[in-house]
Amino acid sequence: MTVENLKALESLNEFRLTEAEEEKALAVFRFMEGEAAALQSVNTEGTEVMVHCMPMTNIFREDVREQAFTRDELLEGAPEHSGDSWIVPRLVK
Amino acid sequence: MNYFVTEIDRAGTVAVDDTILVKGCEAKAGSHILDGFVPLFSSDAVERLVKAGFTLRGKTHTGEFGLDIAGETSYHGVCKKADGTLSTAAAEAVAAGAVKQALCVDVNGAPRRGAALSGVDFLKPTYGTVSRYGIIPTACSGEQVGVCAANAEDVEEALSVIAGHDGKDGTSLPAEKYEYAADKDVAGMKIALVKELYDAADEGVRAAIDAFRAKLEKAGATVEVIPVTDVKAYATAWQIMLSAETCNNISRYDGVKFGYRAPVYKDIDELYVNSRTEGMGFTAKMNVLFGSDVLSKNRYMSCYDKSLRLRRLASEKMKEIFAGFDAVLCPAMSALSVPAYDLAETFERTERELLFTTIPNLTGIPAMVTGGVQLWAAAFGESTLLSIAATAERMAD
Amino acid sequence: MKYEVVIGLETHVELSTKSKIFCACGGHSEADQPNDCVCPACCGMPGMLPVTNRHAVELAVRAGIMLNCRINQYATFDKKSYYYPDLPCAYQITQWFHPICTEGYVDVPTKHGVSRIGIKQIHMEEDAGKLVHDDWADVTYVDFNRTSVPLIEIVSKPDFRSAEEVLGYLEKLKAMLRFGGISECEEGAMRCDVNISIRPEGSTELGVRSEIKNMSSLTAIERAIKYEVARHIDAVERNTETLVQETRRWDDMKNRTFAMRNKETAADYRYFPDPNLMPVVVDDEWLKEIRDNMPATIEQKTAEYASMGLSGQDIASLVSERRLCDLFDAVVASGRRPADTAAWILTDCAGILRRGGKVIGELDIAPEALSYIIGMVDEGKINRGVGKKVLGAVIEKGVSPEQYVKEQALDAKVDESLILDTVKTVLTENAKAVSDYLGGKEKALQSLFGSCMKVLRGKGDPAAIREILVREIEKLK
Repeated sequence: MTVENLKALESLNEFRLTEAEEEKALAVFRFMEGEAAALQSVNTEGTEVMVHCMPMTNIFREDVREQAFTRDELLEGAPEHSGDSWIVPRLVK
Repeated sequence: MNYFVTEIDRAGTVAVDDTILVKGCEAKAGSHILDGFVPLFSSDAVERLVKAGFTLRGKTHTGEFGLDIAGETSYHGVCKKADGTLSTAAAEAVAAGAVKQALCVDVNGAPRRGAALSGVDFLKPTYGTVSRYGIIPTACSGEQVGVCAANAEDVEEALSVIAGHDGKDGTSLPAEKYEYAADKDVAGMKIALVKELYDAADEGVRAAIDAFRAKLEKAGATVEVIPVTDVKAYATAWQIMLSAETCNNISRYDGVKFGYRAPVYKDIDELYVNSRTEGMGFTAKMNVLFGSDVLSKNRYMSCYDKSLRLRRLASEKMKEIFAGFDAVLCPAMSALSVPAYDLAETFERTERELLFTTIPNLTGIPAMVTGGVQLWAAAFGESTLLSIAATAERMAD
Repeated sequence: MKYEVVIGLETHVELSTKSKIFCACGGHSEADQPNDCVCPACCGMPGMLPVTNRHAVELAVRAGIMLNCRINQYATFDKKSYYYPDLPCAYQITQWFHPICTEGYVDVPTKHGVSRIGIKQIHMEEDAGKLVHDDWADVTYVDFNRTSVPLIEIVSKPDFRSAEEVLGYLEKLKAMLRFGGISECEEGAMRCDVNISIRPEGSTELGVRSEIKNMSSLTAIERAIKYEVARHIDAVERNTETLVQETRRWDDMKNRTFAMRNKETAADYRYFPDPNLMPVVVDDEWLKEIRDNMPATIEQKTAEYASMGLSGQDIASLVSERRLCDLFDAVVASGRRPADTAAWILTDCAGILRRGGKVIGELDIAPEALSYIIGMVDEGKINRGVGKKVLGAVIEKGVSPEQYVKEQALDAKVDESLILDTVKTVLTENAKAVSDYLGGKEKALQSLFGSCMKVLRGKGDPAAIREILVREIEKLK
């Protein structure tokens, strides 16, 4: 992990670290890279991925409409809203 | 120190941690970025408790998104033990008798560590038995609501209420109800002690394990030391998944829809960046960065995909062990107490502790901390865990 | 040099479900106002968990069957991460690792014969919300009504060689999906990403590809393809620019494409399997059930109607809209004659809608109501003109035909003496027309007949009225 790559990750995830935090983060990455490298020594050939630890299939809901919440309730905690919509700075200039 | 980030009813006997939603009650999950977020519905577990006549005392402090050792990264206040060392607010509230039971989300073992540090019980049940509807998500594939209480009977009382099928959670298992018992006979049980985990803990912890082992043997169980050679790799695999899923789940906190928005920004990018930079602590950010990296095109196969395969290996290993044993005995953490430390270290310190707690999160099996030690059982083996704990609790030290 | 154009299409289609794909909110077409159809999950609040809408899966499988695809017996849902204000969770649930359908084709009729377009895959995903940019207030409004509406993305192989094939494919797709009850394909509900490259004719290598995002109008797609092809040829032949693989957007006002900014396109989407959603396994039994419940295709309906003796034109009109077929089928099933029923729908209903500035596709009438009106006419209880009047009231005012007929006393038996009285009055009051008729102007009879009908307000059997009129007027000779 390089500083450039780290900065790209920060940007991808929409936050910034301070310089001191970046230094710390690089150390953590170095540490975790060692851990991740050690994973490769475990043979997983012939072992399928397991996404769900308690696997099931075909869990569905029926196509039934229900409106349990109102717009006013949902907008109540919004940092900025217009009464019917959330508001952000204009995207297209 | 106040255990509660939000108090609900002083007459209440049960607490929930701040990642479990209670309708109308601000939920912050230990993070600044959720400030002002008031959920419009309660979690399924809370609904069931209330319906069964329990009264909520309040919401206990939790580390930011539950990503630390024992609650030390909370933005809103950190609970410490009388001697200044760390433990979770939930476990301390139970230990002090402020509540009879506390529900906590176990995603990285923090509630189990809290129970070990405060000398109380915590049981993380089988994945899919308690609905995850209404909990603030971090790593959905392994997180589960569990119960903290002073003894096995009290754990069982709340667990039997909150467990059962919920159609609003697509990973909820089909059984409508689970019957638990804390009175199974321990005599004749075969218990496996994991060598690698025993060796990795400090002397104090090993002494606690030895004492517990002696009790089990006195009660008529046999204890056998077994190796689980890849336990370190499983922990790394879970760290990879935990960070990746957390990165994805907490990316929704962006200052647009609810929660914290930075006061100064000139466009959408600054709104996002400033809100998230100011709203999240370093450990949360570190998980996001690491989780984002392991999901990137170049690293997906060697990290994430590899971890998903290790989950299957771990799961098969557990099946193999539980074919011959009723339960596993191991430490809950590396030491008996955690002094306050520089929080820049949280990610690595927590990752090291995952060694002891990962397998139940990774494979979905139930785990219980009692008497400062940890027990695992096969899926749906909660009664075995409760019975061992109850038996040990009845025996004098 | 001559160039060959190579185009591939990713077509997003909204599925016709009652509720969204992972929550119980209604679709955005139900919404009157922004954020009418939203719940905590739609606006990114934590705590709710996605549970898949079974019918959405069935519609996706149905699309796969219609497009001759392999229906995979193991499909997963996966998460795709990126930041944009119309994506409330900053991830979209899609099918990245195991899509529901793969390897199909569509035959597209063109001027030069039939082109077979390969389908690489069909996958399911959730739609994003809608952003409304306000230049005056300098803000963007975020509306989550469309968030999590179920979509299928139909990914073609790069098999198109002209804009004509692209348009033919999209029109065929639209007709099939509408007719199959898979999607209404309303305005904006079918959106395309168009991948274009060019190569020297005869070459088998692919050229540098540009992707034009999010196109919904056929005319814009045609213009965008023409523009891009010209731009690529200019770049290759006259070195006007260096082509790079990139994402572009079409600007309809400026009539050209623009490269999108890097941040929007360079993202690593970090796909991974969604731990909250279990795999979908369409086993043989379920697949059979879906096949058995599939509505007939356009081709099947055409054959069925031809065997009933309907004209080619009537058949074409009926199969242009699934709901017309459904209406026709239900009315015929209630015992009405096919040719007659087709005429009532395609002539009478269409005429009434046209009067209100609407098209036949907007027809909304219960089959029972139409069948009742046709039955009343067939049994001679009302005449056809009155039947049309009742039909108009039913379509335009939404009244019940039984009640309307009763209220207006349209089915009251008109006794002969009333008709006779009316005829006599009309003959007295229209002396000029009477003398015209008697003077040999046959046409005058029609105006007298019209006057009788007007006085009788449509009541009475027209044949009987005419008979009495002729009898009485002949008496005056």
